[in-house]
Amino acid sequence: MTSLKHGVNLSRRACRPYIKFLAAAAFLAVAVASPIESTTKQSPSITVDGISTYPGLGFGPMGPVAPMPGEPPGTQLRQQQETTTETTTTAKPKKERTFVIAAVEFHRVETPFLIGVWIFFASLAKIGFHMAPKLSKMFPESCLLIFVGVLIGALLLSTHSVHVQPLTPDTFFLYMLPPIILDAGYFMPNRLFFDHLGTILLFAVVGTVFNTLTIGASLWACGQTGMFGCTTPLLDMLLFGALISAVDPVAVLAVFEEIHVDEVLYIVVFGESLLNDAVTVVLYHMFEAYTEMGASRLMYTDFLAGFASFLVVALGGTCIGVIWGFGTGLVTRFTNEVRVIEPIFIFVMAYLAYLNAEMFHMSGILAITFCGITMKNYVEGNISHKSHTTIKYTMKMLSSSSETIIFMFLGVATVNNNHDWNTWFVLLTIVFCSVFRIIGVYIFSAVANKFRLHKLNTVEKFVMSYGGLRGAVAFALVLLIDPEVVKLQPMFVTTTIAVIYFTVFIQGITIKPLVKILNVKTAEKRKPTMNERIHERFMDHLMAGIEDISGKHGNHHMRDKFKRFDNKFIRPFLLRNYQGAEPKILETYSKLAMRDAIEYMQRNASTIGNISGAESMSAIFKNYTNSNFNGSPSFTQLDSSTWNIDMQELEYNPSKKDLTDARIHHLLAEELCKPYRRHRRLSYSRHAVNDRDLGTQVNYKTHMNIRRLVGDRKHHHKRSKRGKQDGKNHVTFPEFQQNGSAKQFTHGKKKYYRLDYIDEVLQEDEEQPRRENDDGGITFTAKSPGYDEVSPTSSHKENSSSLLNQLANLPGFNPLKARIVKQYAKTPEEILPTAVEKSLPWRRDRSTYNFVPNEDILEEDERRMSDDNDTYMTVAEQARVATPTATETMLPWKREEAEGTTALKQSEFPSWASNKEYLAYSSPSATFLGGIEKPKHPKSIIGLFRRESSSSTQAADLPIASDSEGKADSIKGDSSSMKGESLYSQPKQGPSLLSKRSTSLGGPSVLLMEDVAHSDPLGASSRPASIMQGPHRGQCRRGSMLELTGSLSRDAITEEKCSKSLPESERMGVRRLALGQQSLPREPFNRQLTMASNLLTSSSSDESSDENT
Amino acid sequence: MGNKSSLLLREEEIAQIQEETGFTPNQIERLYSRFTALDKNDCGTLSREDFLRIPELAINPLSERIVHSFFAESHDDRVNFLQFMRVLSHFRPIRKNRENRLNSRDEKLRFAFSMYDLDNDGKISRDELLAILHMMVGVNISEEQLTSIAERTIIEADTNNDQMISFEEFCRALERTDVEQKMSIRFLN
Repeated sequence: MTSLKHGVNLSRRACRPYIKFLAAAAFLAVAVASPIESTTKQSPSITVDGISTYPGLGFGPMGPVAPMPGEPPGTQLRQQQETTTETTTTAKPKKERTFVIAAVEFHRVETPFLIGVWIFFASLAKIGFHMAPKLSKMFPESCLLIFVGVLIGALLLSTHSVHVQPLTPDTFFLYMLPPIILDAGYFMPNRLFFDHLGTILLFAVVGTVFNTLTIGASLWACGQTGMFGCTTPLLDMLLFGALISAVDPVAVLAVFEEIHVDEVLYIVVFGESLLNDAVTVVLYHMFEAYTEMGASRLMYTDFLAGFASFLVVALGGTCIGVIWGFGTGLVTRFTNEVRVIEPIFIFVMAYLAYLNAEMFHMSGILAITFCGITMKNYVEGNISHKSHTTIKYTMKMLSSSSETIIFMFLGVATVNNNHDWNTWFVLLTIVFCSVFRIIGVYIFSAVANKFRLHKLNTVEKFVMSYGGLRGAVAFALVLLIDPEVVKLQPMFVTTTIAVIYFTVFIQGITIKPLVKILNVKTAEKRKPTMNERIHERFMDHLMAGIEDISGKHGNHHMRDKFKRFDNKFIRPFLLRNYQGAEPKILETYSKLAMRDAIEYMQRNASTIGNISGAESMSAIFKNYTNSNFNGSPSFTQLDSSTWNIDMQELEYNPSKKDLTDARIHHLLAEELCKPYRRHRRLSYSRHAVNDRDLGTQVNYKTHMNIRRLVGDRKHHHKRSKRGKQDGKNHVTFPEFQQNGSAKQFTHGKKKYYRLDYIDEVLQEDEEQPRRENDDGGITFTAKSPGYDEVSPTSSHKENSSSLLNQLANLPGFNPLKARIVKQYAKTPEEILPTAVEKSLPWRRDRSTYNFVPNEDILEEDERRMSDDNDTYMTVAEQARVATPTATETMLPWKREEAEGTTALKQSEFPSWASNKEYLAYSSPSATFLGGIEKPKHPKSIIGLFRRESSSSTQAADLPIASDSEGKADSIKGDSSSMKGESLYSQPKQGPSLLSKRSTSLGGPSVLLMEDVAHSDPLGASSRPASIMQGPHRGQCRRGSMLELTGSLSRDAITEEKCSKSLPESERMGVRRLALGQQSLPREPFNRQLTMASNLLTSSSSDESSDENT
Repeated sequence: MGNKSSLLLREEEIAQIQEETGFTPNQIERLYSRFTALDKNDCGTLSREDFLRIPELAINPLSERIVHSFFAESHDDRVNFLQFMRVLSHFRPIRKNRENRLNSRDEKLRFAFSMYDLDNDGKISRDELLAILHMMVGVNISEEQLTSIAERTIIEADTNNDQMISFEEFCRALERTDVEQKMSIRFLN
């Protein structure tokens, strides 16, 4: 107790404000509680048992405190209700007369209310600790919680609510313990656990029995000397020994979670604390029964029965757990239509396993542990990512709040008037507990070491013995002892509390520094890398093989056998999507891919804005507008290119959202599996960043990306469907649209873009509904910067569909962006209504006036290109600023329609994933930059970035590259949409284009201009106009689509194909492609991309399905 | 089986093997009996077929490689007992303060590495990795996926950008793995 006081002082000093806060909270609690007391006292239902402070079963006056508020309130409440009804009957006449406006009816809500209050304050206390870093650094949380509990208990005591005894064995075992154990079991590192199962069992079974017997016998022996001042029957002592010798999982978890010791050490101690439950329960019941029977009538058969009962309890509990675990796996196999309820199965079925085992007097802890261990593998294969997250957090929440409450109640329970303090008994118990724990550990670890590969060394032995904490389980068990039978029960209770305090406080506080002093290996938390995963798996097989050869049946052999059995019989039966052996490798791969993508997005949140911004339409817009304002003529060349004469292009005008979506998607896909790539990108971004851009950076992209990652799925379905419906539109890539719009902006006359955007803005409201109704024209987001590539028409449809799916995923469309544009271009000089309509792909279908022939000529375009370059850029920048809002509005779910889309088969994977052509395409930037000059440029930009851009030379190129990249995207769109352009402009610049770009005449701006020029819709416009208007139109679009796809798959698409099916103009695009292709041999990357995309989509599909439900 | 006993090892042979591999005489005797049990033809050497006759090994996805690793030193496709023991000695647990010649971490890693590296060029190429993945993961995963996994793996470990995993890179990739333990088994005495 001195230590306790010491702790109090310390903590007071450490954080006085928090203590005050907590004290206030405690007072509040008391204030709430005391009125209850008075009320409950009135109710006849509460029989305050004067003898026992701990009512044991049933509900205490404070009501049952359980983490699950939904529990039946029990008889007490019912009786209270009866009393209230009585009173109401007497009061009836009054009530009839007046309508009661406000009334207090506490009885009705008392029980759940109190539960809530307890949980609330316990959690509040937890917050308090973490607000005082010093405090939480010095003490384990469990200590602080107990301390708070003591404070509250003292308050309650001082207010004479002595009978408050919330921690009853029933509430503990039925409600508080299961969440903690389930959490432990579910997140148990299976492999580690089973690797050390032998050692764990040795300690848990033999070690616990050893401790029980030695502690009991020693205490009894000491009792014989009369030093305790009371009779100490052997059986009573053994009973006490049984409950006090068990290492407590709750306490161990609480302490070991904080010290992060080596995983082997952790699993051995923790596993022991879990598995010794069976032993404890059996020993406890055995000795309890013996005590009741009386020592004289014991026969040796009783001991045999005890042993048998141990087997039954342990194996029975395990079996029940395993069966329920398999059951859970089986049930979750069929939850794909109702994702929302997936988590409940995990919790409920595990809880049922626990109760089921308890029902048969088997070890509930073992049952729920093994239930968790068993179900984990199968459940995780079946449930969606969202459900997985839900389960994870719910479980952590439940277990940590249970733990909080347990320790707090432990503190509260300490304070009562019923202590029977026997100094010698307490002291000797503590001494024996510690000594025999140490002895036991040393003996059994010596035994275990004989069979262990990894020998437990002295330090580990010490930590193991020191980590043998006692906790709430012992306390709950001691409360269960019937004081009528065991006269020493009050003393046992006091002693148990003392032992718990000793272990939790003294050992719990000192173990942390000790671990440091002894230099115990601490665990490093990390996710396995691909290499580790594969090579370790490889080693497993290897070792299994070696064991077979050497004729030994060891761990590897057993595991191998089980795995084979599992893969052959169990998994196919329990898993919805049985992926074959080695799901872990796949899992790791997908996780890594995901992580790469997310990391990339997060890390580059700002840079993305900048870098990608350069590529993005928004950036372009911004630049454009700026140029307008500034009137800087630097990018004059762009002007000509920017002319968008082609109406189709206008149609393609992207919603900005589409642009963003496309870009992000692209980025993600690109980054997914290619660390190297990403580097390059990064450096781009870095170098490309303008000061202006920096100022406007927003994180929204990251958010969007992530959101997208998860949620894409739905869109896929819808989009794809739409795309199918209107075949015409689906050809259009969002990017193209984007590009188109960009070009329009750049258009010297500004009319087009202005018009478009304005219209968009105006129609924003309409857009959303329309989209739903409309086709998936939007759906295509081809990120590939590919120049025009034409694939044979036959393939068109396939591509288009796949593209559609892909596009659907893109987060691109934002009507909001339009607004931004509006701001900038407030003067809609010329209104091309068609343009607006066309800008939004979905509208095309409807638009009666589909094509407004653009009169501009190629030459004009070129001229304008040069003029407008500057403007182009500025516009883009400004647009970028606006994008965030746009994205927000863009929320994917809004777009989606409720239509039950029979998704194309793509639901599994986005169609584009399977579209080899698309996949083959790596990244536009790569194509442009890396491809041309340094095909295999090993230095990724990211690397550069990290290294603080070590290479200055690259730096120079980079900005250009980034710009060109951005352009590339836009260009693609243009090029695809405008075949005519390719004819005109390309012949001139065509093949050389790439080289030019790479060389970058004037710097980034020049490059941009060039790109624009190439891509210029105008060029396309003149010729294309004719093409489009004809019946070919649809085809043309498709062709453009194909082109894009083709560009994507540089490798896949050969010129031949293009030439066959495609008109000349398209061929030009092909040529460009060819150039790009040459630049980089990227096949591997592409594949990775595919893979990643598959993974992504699959995950997202899950989520989407969730949402749908 | 009857004449197996006649093939008992002589003392000096045991001593030599012990010297070379670090196995205790008991372990050697035990493994020798295993060796002779595998040697169906009683010729004192093992062929690949002898190995593959072990039922569990036969269904091991890597059985071919594992068996192959035993034949690294043999010229006639037969493995004698010494070679057999030499291979197995890679998997002896590491003892502190004792010499660990064939079973050091480095040797263990090298052994694993050589199982990947079929062409013995000191590097794991994409195809070699892919081959292993094929064996382990099986048929249920598409070729593309496997390829991308292999590529991802190589990129991850590849520090010198040669699209291959050299032994150094291999070791670095497994830096945090408890190879000493993962690649050790307890040989019975």
